Amino acid sequence: MPTPILVCDDSAMARKMLIKALPSSWNVEITQAANGLEALEAYRAGKAEVMFLDLTMPELDGYGVLETLQKEGLNSFVIVVSADIQPLAQERVKQLGAIAFVKKPVNPADVEGLLRQYGVEL
Amino acid sequence: MSQTLTSDQKDALQEVTNIAMGQAASTLATILSTFVTISVPRINIPEVSEIGSAISKMVGNGKEVTAVRQSFAGHLRGEAIIIYGQEGCRDLADLMGYDEDIDQSAERELLLDIANVLIGACLNGIADILQTGLTFAPPSIMAERVIINSLIDPTQLTWNNALLVEVNFTLEARNFSCHLVTLMPEDSIERLKQAIDTFMENF
Repeated sequence: MPTPILVCDDSAMARKMLIKALPSSWNVEITQAANGLEALEAYRAGKAEVMFLDLTMPELDGYGVLETLQKEGLNSFVIVVSADIQPLAQERVKQLGAIAFVKKPVNPADVEGLLRQYGVEL
Repeated sequence: MSQTLTSDQKDALQEVTNIAMGQAASTLATILSTFVTISVPRINIPEVSEIGSAISKMVGNGKEVTAVRQSFAGHLRGEAIIIYGQEGCRDLADLMGYDEDIDQSAERELLLDIANVLIGACLNGIADILQTGLTFAPPSIMAERVIINSLIDPTQLTWNNALLVEVNFTLEARNFSCHLVTLMPEDSIERLKQAIDTFMENF
């Protein structure tokens, strides 16, 4: 069965770039979200076993999504994908339960390495 | 000739600027030893006749500003201008721990440093998608404590097309915003648009 994954970024271009960087052998069903609220909706609908989450977004930003997920018992692997690479940002998202931080523009080898590290079947 | 962007081009340019600004924020955080948050940059290419008014509108009509300019050359050429609101300059000085009588040369140096980081990050990010490099002249103070509406006289512009990038930074609890204006000749804007199209076709 394909793994339901969610790609959340306000830029359509950024979503395309990320989806292109995913391992081609990974059997996934991709849902896209353009802001944090859409991401939460998809998450609650069970469409986000793995979530790729941007930080800077309108409506609800990535930090807000992580905070809400924590309150709701976080049942998702969240990988933050951001251009904001300050060490403090990385620390904050990890405290909020994200498993990893990937820097934009996304390097496909980084994503694959990360997924393997967490035992995702590719 | 109209230089407006398609919504795809705008989205792509916004994302490229966003990535570049993330890198700039990281550098600024080091310079200022504080946490810097950035908003999603807003991009606009106004009609040539409306550059002056578009800039005043973006910054806020009647606002007192200080501006830094820096020229660049290469596959794209033109001039980039960073516009700081006067309150922002004070907040920055505050954050840097200067007292009330901030030394003028220290303040100028700080404004030049920040402009250099922002302009370099933004334009190098854009140059990356063009797969080219740019060279920069050192930044210089363009105007100090002037009213925004008198900063740019459209009839005096050497480069008559503009790319406006609005970036808002928050430094710790302070709101500090500044604006980046890039002025380029028409052939550079055309090259930029072609490069974005090529870049997007790869995705």
